[in-house]
Amino acid sequence: MRTKRVRSVAIAAVVTAGLVLVVSACGGSGGSSPTTTTSAAQGATFSNLKVVWGLPDYLDPGLSYKLQSWQAFQDVYLPLLAKRYGTCGVGAGCTKIIPAIAQSLPQSNANGTDLKFTIRKGLKYSNGETIKASDFKNTIIRDFRLNSPGIGFFSNIVGIDACEGNPTKCSDISGITDNDQAGTIEIKLSKPQSDFLYILTTFFTALVPSSTPQKDTENPPPAADGPYYFASYKPSRSFVMLRNPHWKPIPGIPNGNPDKVTALLIADQSRSAQLVQSNQYDYDENTLPTDRLQQLQKNYKNQIHLWRTPSTNYFFMNERLAPFNNIKAREAVNYAINRQTLVNLYGGLGVPTWNFLPPTYPQYKKLSPTPYPYSLSKAKQLVQQSGTKGMTIGVYTESDVANRQAAGEYLQGQLNKIGYHAVMHELGSANYFVIIGNQKTKAQIGFTDWFEDYPYPTDWFTVLEYGPNIHDIHNNNVSNVNFGETNNTINHLGHLPPTQAFSSSTNSDWANLDKTLMTKYVSEAPFLNEVITSFFSTRMNPSCDVFTDLFDDVAQMCLK
Amino acid sequence: MATPGTTQEEFTLDTAAELAAEEGGSKIEGKSPWVLAGRRLRRNYTALVFLAIFLLIVFLCFVFAPIYSSHLSHLGPDFENASGVIHENGKTIHIISQGKSTFGKDGQVHTTAAGIPIGPQLGKSGVAYFFGADQQGRDIATRLLYGGRNTLFIGLVAAAICTVIAILLALLAAYFGGATDWIISRAFDLIWAFPVILLGIALGTALNINGFHHGPINIAAGSLWIPTLVIAFVFIPYVGRPLRGQVLALRNREFVEASTAQGAGPLRIMFTELLPNIASSVLVLFTLIVANAILTEVALSFLGAGVQPPHPSWGTMIANGQNFLSTRPWMAILPGIMITITVISLNVFGDGLRDALDPRAKVKMEH
Repeated sequence: MRTKRVRSVAIAAVVTAGLVLVVSACGGSGGSSPTTTTSAAQGATFSNLKVVWGLPDYLDPGLSYKLQSWQAFQDVYLPLLAKRYGTCGVGAGCTKIIPAIAQSLPQSNANGTDLKFTIRKGLKYSNGETIKASDFKNTIIRDFRLNSPGIGFFSNIVGIDACEGNPTKCSDISGITDNDQAGTIEIKLSKPQSDFLYILTTFFTALVPSSTPQKDTENPPPAADGPYYFASYKPSRSFVMLRNPHWKPIPGIPNGNPDKVTALLIADQSRSAQLVQSNQYDYDENTLPTDRLQQLQKNYKNQIHLWRTPSTNYFFMNERLAPFNNIKAREAVNYAINRQTLVNLYGGLGVPTWNFLPPTYPQYKKLSPTPYPYSLSKAKQLVQQSGTKGMTIGVYTESDVANRQAAGEYLQGQLNKIGYHAVMHELGSANYFVIIGNQKTKAQIGFTDWFEDYPYPTDWFTVLEYGPNIHDIHNNNVSNVNFGETNNTINHLGHLPPTQAFSSSTNSDWANLDKTLMTKYVSEAPFLNEVITSFFSTRMNPSCDVFTDLFDDVAQMCLK
Repeated sequence: MATPGTTQEEFTLDTAAELAAEEGGSKIEGKSPWVLAGRRLRRNYTALVFLAIFLLIVFLCFVFAPIYSSHLSHLGPDFENASGVIHENGKTIHIISQGKSTFGKDGQVHTTAAGIPIGPQLGKSGVAYFFGADQQGRDIATRLLYGGRNTLFIGLVAAAICTVIAILLALLAAYFGGATDWIISRAFDLIWAFPVILLGIALGTALNINGFHHGPINIAAGSLWIPTLVIAFVFIPYVGRPLRGQVLALRNREFVEASTAQGAGPLRIMFTELLPNIASSVLVLFTLIVANAILTEVALSFLGAGVQPPHPSWGTMIANGQNFLSTRPWMAILPGIMITITVISLNVFGDGLRDALDPRAKVKMEH
């Protein structure tokens, strides 16, 4: 996901299922507690955790596609499966998933196209309704009825065509069958898809009661099946989470330390930091403002954590348009940007990268030697060789996110230095990705980013770098990357036998694909993996901080 | 948003003459109304001081800016220097503070905060970076001067274009009346119905993506002409409506009938009889619209719909500075001070001009 964006409904997840290895990678059958790379201190319960939070888009799991909402959802809405609730660190630790509402990871056939789940018995929603197997299918149907941004994830389910053709009239999906008495759910896929289990960890699949209205439901938000529920939500002002009175502990899912979480919604980073600094609130969900980071780090070193996220910030280069249909022009951009300078422009909240895939993935292999050491002279030479010198280039970036605006303006300055005439287009973040994702805009180059939806490379390469996934509107492949060799590789890696999908050799193949795209075809100009901050008041014990791959877990926060 | 007040009765230069007569009796004999108004203005020292301040700002931005950039700071307004250094007493200082991040196995990052631009040097390392640098390592003093040039250009030119178009439309609407008046008045209403800033943002954002290319008019995206024309457009009814009201009141006066009886055509009546009689109101409204156009430009640029980076304007400089209010407050305060001085100067001078031409205050902008 991007921090703020609309996602294409046509996500082609075409990797061959690797269920056998997924199961083994996920630590065996259901009920087992996840292993954690970093163990969090277990704290005692306490009455109220007061937090300052960024603005969610929706508090309805069928509609939300924003980090601020998903961070709250992780302790409220549980899908059949979940990413583990521990700090993942790097590598394989970040890819493990656990059974949540399902009793165990699914049974499946050899190619992983037939998945059978059994849900846990005796679970209830926060409103007292019993959790039924049929709620899963109703949740997916509700997603279609809501025209949810997540419906593209389900395109491989048998019988989904009717719902895709007319989402708001979706009434049944033949590929999902259930039995409420036995508590079983069976999902049939049209073809193998190894990332499907990860898709079942996204909040679009989090179960909501069948009685939930099939419309945006936020006041109050839908009943919860997790350890907490949303007791109230005032958009742009506040929300309150209370313990789910019907919660029945599930192994691997934290019961939570605070009895109540009171969130004040604030977009202003300085103000939210100030509220935590003055101990009026206990946790700042917003990233600290860059101009105050140094002072805050100096004075509150032990209260601040910085985490590298599974994200990549990069400059897209539209390969359908001059000058970036010329590989030398794309190489020139990569040589012209000083990645450390860009990290500085982010206030230090980034780690330079030349890879597309973030280092949190087991498929990541750092490109070595550094493929594009900063060299303006080399960049100028390449521009000269490309015959594109003097061209006018439109540079796009967001106008209301300081570090992104700075990155875009830096790029413009560098393009001017290497012989182009770069013109800036700064757009509000509310519509930025919609505008650059529209082919009619003819955006040549600019800022973009990606935060993972789930920890498998298809979420990166298939969505962002795969030719068949180019769309006229809501296009996530903003560079229009479409190379026969890499398309075939993505396709090939997507159709491996299950025994190979998560093997070390497949991981190497993904790493090689990353290398091929970044060095042979120079499809993008990645520059950093974003770092986000966790800031706690002095009454909190930061050693309880658990960062579950993308965000802190408020349920596990504890007092000193 | 400022909205012009209504005129209770027509005001002409004859009124100025009458007012002068109240003051000086025989001294006004043989003097034109303009001379009399000028005499009144010369006695208003406050207005003249603020006019001098405004002219000084214009001089600094339009004449002194290139001299400062090429001969003193040796830094262009758009010269980005995020990786650069300066030397001071043998010490090397980074224009933008440098950081370093290391990645721990636990997923945590250990980083040194960075990205803070250098503060005001106030001559310590030559004239360069006198007021410090912005987040891209650009010289704030140079950008302040060039930003003022862009802001003033847009304010003055937009006000001029707006006023010319508004005069033409007001004359046409009021003189011809009927369907012409209805169409022009409804067009004024239509534009008036949108809040100025919202309409400006919508137009500015749309036009700044691909520019404006229709027929013989080709304006590139990012051109200063985009905010200029957008601002001119959104203010047309604010000038046009009060002028239309004045012309309506004048068109049945005896001197117009006399001119018609002598065989004068519509164009001659509009431009030689009616226009001179609303000239004083036009002048007053123009000064007020300049101030409002400057504020609108600042607001649009602050919101990203006006002047496009890297070109400076006082609005974009405030927008850039707001991210550093804790550590580098002058990044936003300096352009803010310039805007304040400029707008106050124009408003005080505008009030003085109005007092000279129309001391009964029948033409004014209501805030």
